[in-house]
Amino acid sequence: MKLRGRGIAPGRTEGTALVIRVPFSFVGGADPATGAVLDAATGAANERLGGRIFAFPHGKGSTVGSYVIYGLAKRGVGPAGIVNSAAEGIVAVGAILAGIPMVDGIDVGGLENDDTVRIDGDRGTVELAGVRGRSVVSVVLRNRGRILLVRRSAAVGTFRGQWSAISGYMEGREDPKSRAIREVREETGLRGIRFRANAAPILARDGATMFVVHPLLFDAPSRRVRLDWENVEYRWIRPEEISRYETVPRLPEVVAAVLRKDRES
Amino acid sequence: MRLTREQRRLRDDGTPAQRKAMQILLALSHLSEAERLVPVTSAHVSGASYKMIGDPGLEFLEDFARDARARAYGSMGVRPSFTCTPYLVGARPAFGEHVAWAESNAVCFANSVLGARTNREGGPSALAAAIVGATPDHGLHKDEGRRPTVRVNVTTKPHGLDFSLIGLVAGQRVGDGLPFFRGFHGSEEDLKWLGASLASTGACAMFHLEDVTPEARRARTAGLPSITISRRDLVEAQRSFTDGTKPDVIALGSPQLSGQELWGVADRVRRKPPRIPVWVFTSRAVRDENPEPVAAIESHGGRVLADTCLEVTLLEHQFGTVATPSGKAAYYLPTLCKQKVILDELDALLERYG
Repeated sequence: MKLRGRGIAPGRTEGTALVIRVPFSFVGGADPATGAVLDAATGAANERLGGRIFAFPHGKGSTVGSYVIYGLAKRGVGPAGIVNSAAEGIVAVGAILAGIPMVDGIDVGGLENDDTVRIDGDRGTVELAGVRGRSVVSVVLRNRGRILLVRRSAAVGTFRGQWSAISGYMEGREDPKSRAIREVREETGLRGIRFRANAAPILARDGATMFVVHPLLFDAPSRRVRLDWENVEYRWIRPEEISRYETVPRLPEVVAAVLRKDRES
Repeated sequence: MRLTREQRRLRDDGTPAQRKAMQILLALSHLSEAERLVPVTSAHVSGASYKMIGDPGLEFLEDFARDARARAYGSMGVRPSFTCTPYLVGARPAFGEHVAWAESNAVCFANSVLGARTNREGGPSALAAAIVGATPDHGLHKDEGRRPTVRVNVTTKPHGLDFSLIGLVAGQRVGDGLPFFRGFHGSEEDLKWLGASLASTGACAMFHLEDVTPEARRARTAGLPSITISRRDLVEAQRSFTDGTKPDVIALGSPQLSGQELWGVADRVRRKPPRIPVWVFTSRAVRDENPEPVAAIESHGGRVLADTCLEVTLLEHQFGTVATPSGKAAYYLPTLCKQKVILDELDALLERYG
């Protein structure tokens, strides 16, 4: 599948992914001589950056990081390409100095180690070989401060037994909002819900399938839920309780994203 | 993104260094959503000290200079001034003039005291601006980026060290905001010390001071949150930045001293020669223009060092505790030079250790 982001540093390249989930500082975070990851907080200590497509949320730390990236590339131990969720100046400038193709605007949460990734820094695209994209809506229903979680039944195709928001596949170029209203009616029987916010798509991986999750927040007029075959149980919880539940991938991020959007508006 | 014909030429047909410089400016424009590059009349390229940039930085600059020399060093006329106070040595941009400066106290002084316009550049982006002659038009280059975000009422009359202390306290409290100070006055030199401290503890690149700085009158402060800094806050700040008891050296600089400040130090050490080393940091231009105070300081046991400053020298090789009247030095010395610090008035230090 091909993901569309923003080109930061030009050039095309391909490699296997090294993915970390935390912001990264090249100063102190990588060995300038060998390209080995030093920062243990990344969960990737001792991995080598050389030839990899290095994916992380964004850079941090000293502006000398730009020079470190340059030095790594010059020694042939730097990453082949860089993917960020949201680039900042240090890594962007470093990639340009070093001639390393770089794309941002890609939710790196959907990438996994050893994915085969092709990036195009001119067009701002990231292609994942052997991965199929499916667009879904994930609808956070809210009633007087509590949000609805449902537990998926054994009859559904994916993530059986896990806690989820109301969700469903989008078909063709369908509008996420109307799909959301339909799914809510089918899965809960609730009508008259009111749209509050949506957030940028979040990527959730399940092996060779990439779910492009469109997060939405609706207010529900009541807590009276009538489940259909897709779910076996429901609970209205406080948002901060979500960490206690075994959820479908990235549901906490989906909830946080729409609640943040709602607060901002 | 709108580019001039010359900028398009540099991007497409320039030398490798010119193309790279354009790529840097374009990427930073995308990140900041700037719609054009604004021409700059000067660039201050910091990151010249080996201690800060190390081998990776040195290596990059050597490679880059080999290619860029013709244009960067020729037509932009890079001056090896090695100073964090370019505004004291002839690089004084006029009110409203756009520049691309990197060192934090210089940026704060240019924006606040001179009314020039610059963001806080990194070393490479200032270099790119120097090569292209322009910088992304966003942040402090625009009127809306220069509006104050917080009022800071100072309820005590500051002198000497107090300006550094106000900066330290305000920087901690306003973070990356843009403070509008009221309640005191100060000379250009006072504001240099205030700005240097403010830009150390905070990510501030500009401040206003009521009735003093050139854009204060135009600034609207109605409805802004406000904070107060009292004498007690300053006393507390001085105490919290002091963790040493017995100094090995008195270090004066950070930012580098002006000619007038050199005279001040010379007069004091003449009256009472210091018992411990006094290291004075200034620019080579100021040192060359002021042979008399330099000689006076050096004949009374001091040293006047140019082209460098406290934090980027290897103080840690010789000393363990530094006494200084600089708030910025007090902030950086513990981490960058592993020093204990005594933060106090210049007069008090030279009196006590003379």
